Amino acid sequence: MSHSLHRRGSKCSLKDDFVLLVTPAVNINHKDSGPKLWKILNIVTEVGPNNIGSYETGTIYTGVTIDDIRNNMPETPRVRCCFDSKDSMFEVLKRIKEEDLGLSITVSGLNDDILDMCQELDIKPHSVNYSFGIHGATEKLPPEEVLEVLTMCGHGMISKNLVAKAIDQVKRGKKTPHEAAVMVAQPCVCGIFNVSRAEKLFSKYIEK
Amino acid sequence: MLVNKELCIGCGLCIPYCPVSAITIVNKKAVIDQDICTECGTCGRKNIVKCPTSAFYDREDVTKHPRSIRKFFSDPTATHVETKVPGRGTEEVKTNDVTGRVDKKHYGIAIEMGRPSVAASYRDVEKMTMALAKFNIEYEPCNPIKFLFEDEKKGTLTKDALEQRVISTIIEFNVEKDQLVPVLQTILETGQTLDTVFSLDLIARFNNPTKMPEIPELLELGLEPRPNNKINLGMGRPLKEA
Ligand code: SF4
Ligand code: SF4
Repeated sequence: MSHSLHRRGSKCSLKDDFVLLVTPAVNINHKDSGPKLWKILNIVTEVGPNNIGSYETGTIYTGVTIDDIRNNMPETPRVRCCFDSKDSMFEVLKRIKEEDLGLSITVSGLNDDILDMCQELDIKPHSVNYSFGIHGATEKLPPEEVLEVLTMCGHGMISKNLVAKAIDQVKRGKKTPHEAAVMVAQPCVCGIFNVSRAEKLFSKYIEK
Repeated sequence: MLVNKELCIGCGLCIPYCPVSAITIVNKKAVIDQDICTECGTCGRKNIVKCPTSAFYDREDVTKHPRSIRKFFSDPTATHVETKVPGRGTEEVKTNDVTGRVDKKHYGIAIEMGRPSVAASYRDVEKMTMALAKFNIEYEPCNPIKFLFEDEKKGTLTKDALEQRVISTIIEFNVEKDQLVPVLQTILETGQTLDTVFSLDLIARFNNPTKMPEIPELLELGLEPRPNNKINLGMGRPLKEA
């Protein structure tokens, strides 16, 4: 599913938020994709993602290290992770391009930034999955400041009540923005929740 | 999901974690409303919700039809029994550079019912699929929602499915370019009758690699894409150019 799409928030708050997904296509280039995925996983871990996880172990915010995650990955690992700067996303893409592995790569982030990187690396983007917003009974939605945090888990695992609790704890000085961001990141089992971005979003609640 | 009353000490730690607010404390014990629970599994994950007494346990029928529908459309770690594919959707744009599923003559549409944060009943999903029936839509064959139709042409779902609620479920199909506006109009109008929300996705192909694809007719419908989207970089091989 398009779990890295539909992240809410202003352009400014989304500028350091990129999700990388590498997907072998069943019956096309899935066979023998294991070693290629491992190569990409090595690049990702060398550059350093903001968040990464696997269903086998959990994410780096639930008590395991990147090494634990790597060591427990299946032969054909899933590569999906998030980066909190354009520089690190660029570095990863540059190295993936150099390897010329032929697997499908998607990046979620601000259009302008992705197109910039593509131009610089001479990559020709193929298709886009556009987010055209939220419709229907929108009166049931939580406030925008809660949505911009919880939509970083596209599977809907992060509860609006947990985000509200995190905001309240930061306001009352019971948690630092980083501690609050980690608490909220934990239910995202794929590891695409951007903890740095959440931390910045929570920082605005610190009583001056 | 169920709570072992013997073990629960009523600490309330689990309550804010449930994405659909299904957990309450009654007589100093956590109780899960079984109609509301989507079987997403979050409360039972010991590395996330650190229930001090490990009081959560799965219902016996959680992987059996029809309760399994909740699980497979709500818990990202569960693999769908029918399709053997984990997740609620398909490879959508992720492999479009090699599958060419959405070609240059079409747009891909996905209606992500219940997303974000509200969850969806299949009664609402059926309202949408019935409204779309007049367009003779061919739903994406790999999407697990295909297994929930009673009559795909009419857009009706099975009785079992109609009783279920999930975190989100995706209605996914392609349209010819000239059908885009009427289809989207129907989707937006039907949205007004729903008891839930949906996120709207549209897959389009790049014509010029330095410029986002433009779809000017959508502005008339008041639809503008977000500044952040998901882009397939065209690095898969063999590449589908058509
Ligand atoms: S966290 Fe465990 S012990 Fe505490 S209320 Fe929830 S089920 Fe009961
Ligand atoms: S399984 Fe998910 S929906 Fe059900 S009670 Fe637990 S957290 Fe809530």
